[in-house]
Amino acid sequence: MDRSPIDFEALTRNGRIHGSLYRDPAIFEREVEAIWNKVWVYIGHESEIPKPGDFVRRQIGLQPVIMIRDDGGAVRVLYNRCRHRGNLLCHRDRGSSETLKCPYHGWTYSRGGALLAPTFEEGYDSNLRKDDFALTPVERQGAYRGLVFASIASTGPSLDAHLGAAKEYVDLFMDLSPTGEIELNTGTQKLSYRGNWKFLPENSLEGDYHGPFIHRIAFELHGKRTGLDMSSLYENQIPDVIHSLPGGHMVEDYRGATMAPPKRAPSEARLAYVALMEKRYGPAKANQLLSTIPPLGYIFPNLLYIMTHIRRVQPVSVDETHVYYQPMLLKGAPDEINTLRLREHEFGFGPAGLISPDDIEIMERNQRGVAARGNDWQFIGRGMHRDKVLPDGRSSGFTMDECHLRGMWQYYGRLMSDPDATLSP
Amino acid sequence: MDENRYREWLALWDKDAVYWVPCNDDDIDPTRQVSIIYDDWGRIEQRVERLVSGSVLAQDPKPRMRRTVSNIEIEDGTGNEIATRSNFTLVLAKGGTQQLWAGRTIHKLRRAPSGFKIFYKKVMLVNADQEMPLLQFLI
Repeated sequence: MDRSPIDFEALTRNGRIHGSLYRDPAIFEREVEAIWNKVWVYIGHESEIPKPGDFVRRQIGLQPVIMIRDDGGAVRVLYNRCRHRGNLLCHRDRGSSETLKCPYHGWTYSRGGALLAPTFEEGYDSNLRKDDFALTPVERQGAYRGLVFASIASTGPSLDAHLGAAKEYVDLFMDLSPTGEIELNTGTQKLSYRGNWKFLPENSLEGDYHGPFIHRIAFELHGKRTGLDMSSLYENQIPDVIHSLPGGHMVEDYRGATMAPPKRAPSEARLAYVALMEKRYGPAKANQLLSTIPPLGYIFPNLLYIMTHIRRVQPVSVDETHVYYQPMLLKGAPDEINTLRLREHEFGFGPAGLISPDDIEIMERNQRGVAARGNDWQFIGRGMHRDKVLPDGRSSGFTMDECHLRGMWQYYGRLMSDPDATLSP
Repeated sequence: MDENRYREWLALWDKDAVYWVPCNDDDIDPTRQVSIIYDDWGRIEQRVERLVSGSVLAQDPKPRMRRTVSNIEIEDGTGNEIATRSNFTLVLAKGGTQQLWAGRTIHKLRRAPSGFKIFYKKVMLVNADQEMPLLQFLI
């Protein structure tokens, strides 16, 4: 941007967030450069493309990529652009293919991205080297527990450094699987809302505070249906639930908020599942994993893991966002357990669920609310006076505190202030 | 449905109900693939309970909507059961815009003393594989 620089740190300091960050198209453009084109972005899970040739179409910021499994079984993230004339190579959301053939002039690539044949090759001079026209891989790629990330900045912190303390919580979430592996090839609920992308991580991780207001009926119905009393998670002021992690990540960790066991006898499938969990993790850890809900988390900037599913955030423009919900199945768990996970997911989440649509409706109203500029600041100061800051840079607070939101915005402010810096998380 | 008469709608269902709106594709395996809605009777009842509670934000105010049902085919059923297939288009006004929804519906109905009861309804949305707005009304 050529105009006078914006002091982003001032716009996100002391628990105050400026309204322009949700509505200014110039700031959105800057986010694309300073965030989406810089940091590690979640692409997808390896289980979505189990066989060679399987692919899914994704985006890094506004740029189209594909994630494909090559002939050797490796996962590759490639720019989705034919090297000939720049046509979108894969236009389907997902599929499986022997080769990648551009529909425009027929240039054909291997599943790993090598150019197999330009068409009407005799028309090119002998200097045309196929090696110069392979599909372009993203600059950096990595994975953690099957979650594939990519960065289109050639330098910057490693994926391991970016994830840092967040890995512990991803582990807790995925350890609900009795094999430690999850399956995300379950289809995708796709939703669109008229609001800024940052409303989604903010809202998704502060359900303790807004839950009693917008989800009260849904939680009551959930308790009636499952026999589980979740009120201990929402009504008590429990310390060390809310965490801000270095790198802009957020977590709600409920290990300190054990729920009473359900008021009904477990099914045979549930007993079999518990036995598998005890066999893998030992009774103590299995009990700890099963006696509360798994942590809810956000990995900056576009990955959320919430209750039943992995959620991806995809900005479209400053005031339009796409959300993708993919339920997580537990590899090795009884089929009945996994089918029940799907049913519970659908009942809560996606376009027709009983929980997340109230959040989406609020986000659309939030976008309209911040058009009012009378006093152009939001306040996220709950718990500021009692934040517990740890030596590793994380901070923690009580249920309903907002230290995690402050941490995310602080990191956002740093990235936006100096897009050329190679920031450590 | 267009007049938000939820309890009357609930009374149309039989207790072995399946109310299914597939996601991504019309023919998925609902035991392994996610749907938009896959309710048994208990879940339909809870869905209705939430709608009548007045706490559904997307229903404040209640959206105005009308749908047209056409291309109705009735299959000969066995005994006292029949299946119907039909198309619908639905226009819904909400938040200053109009939304257009469309799809094909399979109903399976059972004759009961009070008339027909629905025991299976599958709604195949035209936009099942697209990014969609909230679906917080009866489809």
